[in-house]
Amino acid sequence: MDITIYTATGCARCKIVKGFMEERGISYVEKDMKADGKDDFQAFYKANRSAVFRGPEGIEFPIIYDGENIRQSIGAALAFLHAGKKLDGFFTVGTLHKEWVNGIHVSGGDPRYAEEFLYILRYLKDKNMKLQLETTGKNSGVLKQVLDEGLADVMIMDVLGPEHLYSRLAGEEIDIEDIKASLGLIQSFPEYKIRTVIAPVIREDGSVSYLTPEEIALTAKLIGEGSGSNKLPYMLKAFEPKEAQNPEFRKLEPIVNLLPYRSKARTYQVFADIEK
Amino acid sequence: MSNKKSKDELNFRDYIFYFEEHTWAKIEDGKVKVGITDYAQDQLGDIIFIQLPEVGAEFQKGDEFGQAESAKTVSQLYMPIGGKIIETNETLENDPELVNNSPYDEGWMIVIEPNDLKEVDSLLTKDLYIKLLK
Repeated sequence: MDITIYTATGCARCKIVKGFMEERGISYVEKDMKADGKDDFQAFYKANRSAVFRGPEGIEFPIIYDGENIRQSIGAALAFLHAGKKLDGFFTVGTLHKEWVNGIHVSGGDPRYAEEFLYILRYLKDKNMKLQLETTGKNSGVLKQVLDEGLADVMIMDVLGPEHLYSRLAGEEIDIEDIKASLGLIQSFPEYKIRTVIAPVIREDGSVSYLTPEEIALTAKLIGEGSGSNKLPYMLKAFEPKEAQNPEFRKLEPIVNLLPYRSKARTYQVFADIEK
Repeated sequence: MSNKKSKDELNFRDYIFYFEEHTWAKIEDGKVKVGITDYAQDQLGDIIFIQLPEVGAEFQKGDEFGQAESAKTVSQLYMPIGGKIIETNETLENDPELVNNSPYDEGWMIVIEPNDLKEVDSLLTKDLYIKLLK
């Protein structure tokens, strides 16, 4: 496998990925987009513009390319080099910098490849990176392993909605006991946050509407049942229609006032608040 | 790697007109050539891609006609006056860095057939544009 790695001068994450390839004997060519590789990166970017992710601080490096597949940022690059496409879903492009790595999704990948997933987390921790992971509660077994090995510095749990809507919101069949098991683990992480995006739901009759304050109350109730606590740091976040992938959701007006949601959520989670 | 220039190091030409959205307009034989200012290219950093409109497309003053992309950011390009695109700088497709190196000459972007040449009167002079940046 011949890999081209696009880097930026002084990018410590790029060095870690290059080191990984050297350890594995993977041959690669480096193109530093701020130095000799500038023209090559320009040509790559021109040909693959739509596949290159931009975070708030611009294009995230490194980017690896094998002539067919592109993987961007440290986590996704290492995962692909280690296990090919098996770990797709566990990693997306991270946007945190310095020693922090995010874009790591415990629920996003196939739990059959948990060991490969954990290997990448161990590798990153071994390189003194701090990891911010996310979960929707699915794959609680993998979450338990992450916890037991101390692989997460921050865990963010996105509780999608109330029990009766969870599968609908996730877009796949969800075992609610899996979600409750994850909720039971969340307080054991060194730093954690639970949040719910007030998302649109495609209702049984096909109509689209946001989660209601009553449904958010039931979500807070689910969190309480799963975790055994009604005093968790629980944040509510407005959905941003313009960033939605579903074109139907993009037509929605954003929710302006989240206070009714917060009031209802506090019935079951007394510290519920609104994320700015 | 390009390092940002101080305001005093930036180059602003006389005899061209400046739009507050950081494009410039230069009248040549009744047509108007458009590009971005030295300030705009400096803010972008090394440009890696420029998207320009098709010849024949028509825009009003202030419309977005394309975008310039660097590793750091994406910047929309705005029409300083209204008109029809009659030429684009195709060289920028393979050499977008010309905009960094020569924003007022080789790095020009489009030529327009103006709807009303008098629209340039609403644009800024060099001194007013520099004042806007301060």
